[in-house]
Amino acid sequence: MYRIGVDIGGTFTDFALFDALGGRMAIHKQLTTPRDPSEAVLDGIGALLTRNAVPIDRVGDVVHGTTLVTNLVIERKGAVTGMLVTEGFRDILDMGYESRYDLYDLRLRFPAPLVPRRLRAEVVERVRGDGTVARRLDKASVQKAVTGLRRKAKIEALAVCLLHAYANPAHEQAIRKLVLKEHPDLYVSTSADVFPNMREFERWTTTTVNAYTQPMFDRYLKRLEEGLAQLGFTGRIDIMTSSGGTVTTETARRFPVRSLESGPAAGALMSAYHGRTLQIDNLLAFDMGGTTAKGALIRAGAPLKKYMMEVARVHEFKRGSGLPVRIPVIDMIEIGAGGGSLAGVDDRGLLRVGPKSAGADPGPACYGRGGAGATLTDANLVLGYLDAGFFLGGGMRLDKTAAERAIAATVATPLSLNLARAAWGMHEVINEDVARAFRIHASERGFDYRGATMVAFGGSGPVHAMAIARKLKIPRVVFPVGAGVMSALGLLVSPLSFEVAHSKRVYVDDLTAGAFAEQLGRLGDEASGFLKRAGVGTPDIAMTIRLDMRYQGQNHDIELTLPRTDDLAALFCDLPRLFAESYAETYLVSFIEEPVEIINWKVEVTGPAPNFTAGYSLGTIPTGDARSARKGSRPIYLPGPAGYVDVPVLDRYGLAPGASLTGPAIVEERESTCLIGTGDRATVDERYNLVAELAN
Amino acid sequence: MDGMKRQEFDAVSLGILWDRLISLTDEIVSTLVRTSFSTIVSESYDLSCVVLDAEANSIAQGTMSVPIFIGSAPVTARHMLDRFPAATLAPGDVIVTNDPWLGTGHLYDITMMRPVFLNGRIVAYTMSITHLPDVGGIGFGSAAAEIYQEGFRFPICKLVEAGKLNEGLIDIIRTNVRVPEQVVGDIMANIACNEVGGRQVLEFMAEYGFDDLMPLSRAIREQSERAMREKIGTLKPGTYRNSIDLEGFDGPIRFVCRVDVKRDSVAVDFDGTGPCVRAGVNVPFCYARAMALYSVKTLTLPTLPNNAGMVAPISVSAPAGCILNAQSPFATGGRHAMGHFVTPLVYGALAKAAPDRVQAESGMMNLVTFQGRHPNGRGVSTIYFAAGGYGALDGIDGASTTPHPSNMAVVPVEIWETITGMTIETKHLMPDSGGPGKQRGGLGQEVVLRNTSGSLMTMLGMGSRTRFPARGMFGGGEGRLRAHSVDGKPVNAKARVELPPGARITIREAGGGGFGPPARRAPAAVLADVENGFVTVKGALGDYGVTVDPRQGTVVRRTAKSKPKTAAKRPAAAKTAARKKTATMAPGAGR
Repeated sequence: MYRIGVDIGGTFTDFALFDALGGRMAIHKQLTTPRDPSEAVLDGIGALLTRNAVPIDRVGDVVHGTTLVTNLVIERKGAVTGMLVTEGFRDILDMGYESRYDLYDLRLRFPAPLVPRRLRAEVVERVRGDGTVARRLDKASVQKAVTGLRRKAKIEALAVCLLHAYANPAHEQAIRKLVLKEHPDLYVSTSADVFPNMREFERWTTTTVNAYTQPMFDRYLKRLEEGLAQLGFTGRIDIMTSSGGTVTTETARRFPVRSLESGPAAGALMSAYHGRTLQIDNLLAFDMGGTTAKGALIRAGAPLKKYMMEVARVHEFKRGSGLPVRIPVIDMIEIGAGGGSLAGVDDRGLLRVGPKSAGADPGPACYGRGGAGATLTDANLVLGYLDAGFFLGGGMRLDKTAAERAIAATVATPLSLNLARAAWGMHEVINEDVARAFRIHASERGFDYRGATMVAFGGSGPVHAMAIARKLKIPRVVFPVGAGVMSALGLLVSPLSFEVAHSKRVYVDDLTAGAFAEQLGRLGDEASGFLKRAGVGTPDIAMTIRLDMRYQGQNHDIELTLPRTDDLAALFCDLPRLFAESYAETYLVSFIEEPVEIINWKVEVTGPAPNFTAGYSLGTIPTGDARSARKGSRPIYLPGPAGYVDVPVLDRYGLAPGASLTGPAIVEERESTCLIGTGDRATVDERYNLVAELAN
Repeated sequence: MDGMKRQEFDAVSLGILWDRLISLTDEIVSTLVRTSFSTIVSESYDLSCVVLDAEANSIAQGTMSVPIFIGSAPVTARHMLDRFPAATLAPGDVIVTNDPWLGTGHLYDITMMRPVFLNGRIVAYTMSITHLPDVGGIGFGSAAAEIYQEGFRFPICKLVEAGKLNEGLIDIIRTNVRVPEQVVGDIMANIACNEVGGRQVLEFMAEYGFDDLMPLSRAIREQSERAMREKIGTLKPGTYRNSIDLEGFDGPIRFVCRVDVKRDSVAVDFDGTGPCVRAGVNVPFCYARAMALYSVKTLTLPTLPNNAGMVAPISVSAPAGCILNAQSPFATGGRHAMGHFVTPLVYGALAKAAPDRVQAESGMMNLVTFQGRHPNGRGVSTIYFAAGGYGALDGIDGASTTPHPSNMAVVPVEIWETITGMTIETKHLMPDSGGPGKQRGGLGQEVVLRNTSGSLMTMLGMGSRTRFPARGMFGGGEGRLRAHSVDGKPVNAKARVELPPGARITIREAGGGGFGPPARRAPAAVLADVENGFVTVKGALGDYGVTVDPRQGTVVRRTAKSKPKTAAKRPAAAKTAARKKTATMAPGAGR
């Protein structure tokens, strides 16, 4: 059977067709159709199958990642949404954190709530933190509120957000029932269903994102399902989530917010997959595209996760200027650095590159579409790292003179630098920015990156990877095959999974082993339900339990991952010791005599790993070595006194397993170019990865 | 050279090396945060880390550093080197002090400095500053009449001598604080991060082949100073004055400043400011200076990294003995409560020098400590934080419920109720509380809390702006006043109040000032405000002179004849007289 991965990005929609038995892979790329993204998806699947002569009834499943949900929020093109809140708390969304995310910028901006204040209404009810009801739900107040909202605007979706609903969702559920009875056309999201965690501003904002995107996402999935059915597809469609697992379309419709950022998650997942097959414990996944670079840390085969992200930043890409969303998500670094990043002079009078980007239109000056600003791609072209005649495999010609002109005008002249120095400076500043971001991210998480391996991909990643690795003192970089479509590939290694995270604050001393096991069992059943409904059998479901815990009186939690066990009650006795060990490891201080609390209970269930063969090739199987794969040579700029030096250019598709080469060299494939530094040694392994060891 | 010659740094290399130094400093911060015990460090980031060159000029500071640490590091370093000259220092020494006048203004901040040796020579110093959870004495707040009541003060001394910890000093500290494990844990974290920092500096130097940091330091400082002087040139030169009245304890306190803006320098002087008071709110000069530097920086080059070059073009002075240059033994524990007002003071003075950049006064934040017993029997002592409105700026309405210049983050209702056993009955914006203006001031809020813990609770306030509202700018109106009440009766926002079970506390947060005449606000903006409930129909008419019909979605400006005057004065909200003399401030507010 065949499987297809489809990843919709801002510019391109990427496809990967994988033959689980034959270990063969075919890829395809085409322009995204922003008005209706399903057009490109259906088109591309048709083209991919025709070209590879695969009948659609031989395709078992389509795994899909999309930026649709993110774009709806960024572009504010979601549904007109109303909101019901507990009486007295209508303004929580406007108040936010009551904090500034930048201490020095007086003109900082905050994102407007997705539901304007006039479309928020209060209902009479009150639940306490322990889940008991202080005031029963006044149903008449619900009817009045919804009628009032519908009179004000044509709302299509409704976010129901009550205080302490994570502790007792009964009122939210009653409201949902009541509203759907009278307004069956409304899409209703309730906060305890979307993410039952404490902290009303974040949970409610997450719920509004869910409601705001639900109608469009539902219609999109419907078009996709119908379109695929028309093509004759009878298999299953799975949707990628931001946590690195997939869900059924049914679950995806219920929780569109969980599909934010699914593309980058898939890329990180693919890196983790490479780490597992290469048996490398500590990995840095590094992806650089047109506007941003992304990084993730991978420990023992799994990307680090978190439960908080931001969407739609409104002020200079700054952390804190977006809408906070609480969902399980792969812990990514995002840097405003990509091929389109614009260079200029900063406030200090020194060179800066990014975060402003020339985007795809007009794009870098060398695209010849009227872009006058100097971008990173222009610099890489002037430095000889890119070939004007072999961009996107020769699919697009670059204008080197235009690139030189732009760099001279906006960088070299104002900063009194010669052209080569200016271009190299742009390249190097980006390397520094990425290295810095990795250093800080790793250091904040206690991740030792020295000795780790980097996996580099994305259109611009492989040009910069070796220099960044050198700065980080990382000894090895892996350039996987298909670096330009890593996310589409990542979709195919992603298992079905679902995570529930529930706030329930309790002292360990006040719990019994039985109550502990029962609480986790209940959450496990809830999470497993999502997999079972997709046809996964109980023996195939693996469960990971994480608890957020703290010593009494502290404000910071430690996430404790429990060892896998069938006997939760027995594990309970070990809990204080496990927590103390984890605490000592994180904070380097020893045992403290304070009671321990559990704050959040998180259960993740995962289905069996999809059938994905370790070795795969794209197209024809390569047979050559470094000599036969040599296409020619060209001068590239090397830092130091040498300046421009003529180096060999090799064709990636001509390098068979075992082939090896020593830098300086350029290895080209269609969507990206690997720059191998002086003295670095690269070898093609049996899975067609190019593995480069850095010279000392 | 030893090291690189200055001309070897161009716009590429200087930027890269500079950013690398800052990032190295951020890594020192991250070590400090990870190894510290108290939440003041790990959550509130009430800390700073600095790298200084061999001559004790600061060249890089952690990017997360709070404003109050701007410019203080080199001054502390010089005091330390006066006591222990560089020639007498040995590898592994760590010098320490918590003296408010040598450090950052109150006993809670501990400063540590460690020399970095290369080939037997000092090439740099690293420094860390954190706010300790406790220093003994009367406890955090403004209750002390003199510094001796506020806790232990140790002079500049060596905490570690050639790698050997001064156990005696640690024992003294341990014996004198309420939470010894946290305090000693944080002190150890400071020692550890300076050690890591020293290693990082040496690695950095090895990587780039430096055996001396002075040429790079000079280049960084010169570039910063040049950028700062150039940007100061965009301020309109002149001599400007401003004064602000603050709520004191025995009557108002007046802050006065005179700012001389020249072509490439700024001088801020606080002559005329009132005297010190017998409460823990006096401001040592280092703190007043840091707030003045912060204020000028935000109006000129907010993105410029903090270092000695950045502050060189700005001089600050205050006569000894005024409340902005408090002398020992006046108490300083809550120096920030007063010191924060330096910022609106300087903005007000510079309004005409930088009309496109200054901010109208903000409602400022409010910290209220609640002490009592949770229904589960455990003790409660925790701070409720609520923000007033942010002052408006040219082209930008003030954000609602956003603090300035200090910064905190709200405790969510759901968390607050869980940890205290209290109930928050409502928390909502107050319409019309933002100062009217072409740009409206940020709205304040009203929070109603109820003591549902079943036991007697105590509330300790430190609220300002109960008599003096946030003023507008260029014709903008003032924001509404702050007010506290219990069961409907007004109480002093700085007082200690007992709350029997069932008591209902209402906290009203001050609005921010408006910017520009309200009559010039776009009618459509007033309509949107009315539709969203930020301004009432009555407010639209009274403050902005427009008649809004939200049902029809129409807005009509009144005719010129009946146009309201600019800077429309509104009746001040309930004025609260200062009834009690004693006042206490809550911990965790050292920012």
